[in-house]
Amino acid sequence: MILVFRLGFLAFLLLLWALAAQQMGGNVVPSPKATYLAAGRMLGEGRLIRALGDSLTVFLSGYALAIAVGVPMGILMGGFRVLGKTLEVYVYALAATPRVAFIPLIIVMLGLGVEAKMFIVFLGALMPVLINTYAGVLAADDELIEMAQSVGAGRMRVFRRIVLPGAVPFVIVGMRLGATIGLINTVVAELYTSVKGLGGLLAIYGNTFRMAEYFVVVLMLSLIGVVVTESLRYLEQRASRWRIVK
Amino acid sequence: MHRSDDGPDGRPVSVTGGRNPEAGIVFDAVGKSFAATRGATPISAIKDVSLTIGAEQFVAVLGPSGCGKTTLLRLADGLIQPDAGSIRIFGNPPQPGPDIGFVFQSFRLIPWATVAQNVEFGLMDLDLTKAERADRVAQNIDLVGLSRAADAYPATLSGGMRQRVALARALAPDPRVLLMDEPFASIDAQTRELMQGELMRIWAQRKSTVMFVTHSVDEAILLADQIVLLAPRPGRVVEVVNVDLERPRWTFDARAEPRFMELRRHLAEQMRKLVLADPSSEFFGRDFVPH
Ligand SMILES: Nc1ncnc2c1ncn2[C@@H]1O[C@H](COP(=O)(O)OP(=O)(O)OP(=O)(O)O)[C@@H](O)[C@H]1O
Ligand SMILES: [Mg+2]
Repeated sequence: MILVFRLGFLAFLLLLWALAAQQMGGNVVPSPKATYLAAGRMLGEGRLIRALGDSLTVFLSGYALAIAVGVPMGILMGGFRVLGKTLEVYVYALAATPRVAFIPLIIVMLGLGVEAKMFIVFLGALMPVLINTYAGVLAADDELIEMAQSVGAGRMRVFRRIVLPGAVPFVIVGMRLGATIGLINTVVAELYTSVKGLGGLLAIYGNTFRMAEYFVVVLMLSLIGVVVTESLRYLEQRASRWRIVK
Repeated sequence: MHRSDDGPDGRPVSVTGGRNPEAGIVFDAVGKSFAATRGATPISAIKDVSLTIGAEQFVAVLGPSGCGKTTLLRLADGLIQPDAGSIRIFGNPPQPGPDIGFVFQSFRLIPWATVAQNVEFGLMDLDLTKAERADRVAQNIDLVGLSRAADAYPATLSGGMRQRVALARALAPDPRVLLMDEPFASIDAQTRELMQGELMRIWAQRKSTVMFVTHSVDEAILLADQIVLLAPRPGRVVEVVNVDLERPRWTFDARAEPRFMELRRHLAEQMRKLVLADPSSEFFGRDFVPH
């Protein structure tokens, strides 16, 4: 049912798009058809796929690194209160600083290549993952912890069987936020460092006013966003099967 | 008639007798204070509580809200330590684990675990083979009549069913001591009566030493060998009442017995006095005419 509504809305959006193209002219807003044809051309040249591959490599490796670092660090900070209390101020400060501010520094340190791009993505995705994991560990249910203690569980077992599973929904929310920011940072990185990937195409087509191709790239980015967040939503549902499904 | 060994000044009151004179749970001049916030002056939650619960006895702890009932149970389980006095469970200091079962005021089920997994959680500290473990789980789920819901998640269960799971979890390790904190307070009246009957049946079968907290006078009389009446702020023992009603009590209408009514009248009057004398109660100082 919801799928029908979604497709209906998609048709509505396409209509709006077509109208906008008609009103403003194909040089500003390309028609859906022109965009479709451009997509065919770009796919034929192999250019789109190559750019997609570059971008995904940057995004996925930076994002994976953010999870690999953010989750354990959040767990450690939540598990050892002194560590958490010590570091949290700095984590929040870093999270509040616009990450773009670090880009010149990163370029100086890592150059313009893949490493620099990965690091920019990593830095963006890390904070939501880390902060949410930390919050999830801290949000542990004191009543359940006391119950586990009464059953004879020591600190380690309370942590493993009550605190960590309780934090899972928080971690997944953090991963979802991290994915969005990571995707944004992928494009930002490709615009600010060596021009490559989808972000690179965006710059090239935008600067040369090839709007049909430009639109193809934008749509591609939205598509990646949808695929990534939907897979995480699926993961979230899998992880919380125990909630009442209405 | 009921015994009033001691008044509200709270000097040692002993509760022995019944089927087995061996001491199961002993509180000796126990005191515990809490600070509401860190650094605030601690307020005395219970003060100078002495009582002895015989092995295999069912003792109800009765008292108005805030008189330290939950605190007594947490002390008896070893979840918190007293500031003064000492506690012994069959001669040893309390140690949380499979020897002491705890049924909490709120059910405290693990939401991401099934009924069977929740019950199995109670066995965590026991050295059992996989088969023995599964056996115990099935047996205790059966005991509380939930076999058909073994694979359900807590969120899909009614309040009564959740409390049964909590009961099965506490019973699974076959503890010598069972601590129960108003386990039926949040269950509807019909279910409560059925659960009370079931608890009596299980207790007769398992022969554990039970400390059962309630603020229902009827429930206390219906279930217990002895009733310990607590006064609030600070929590202290006011009176210990022997319930000399025949068992089993759930097979006939015990409430209609003259002795039951006598006990109820006495305990209800005592509870009323305690509430009226409590400065932090909204009924403080009012003088209700006894009915
Ligand atoms: N962890 C705690 N921190 C601060 N104060 C506490 C704590 N535990 C209990 N108290 C205080 O000690 C007193 C007794 O609390 P307790 O929970 O034992 O009462 P209770 O008889 O179980 O009440 P109820 O019938 O409402 O469950 C209360 O005044 C309560 O505010
Ligand atoms: Mg309580």
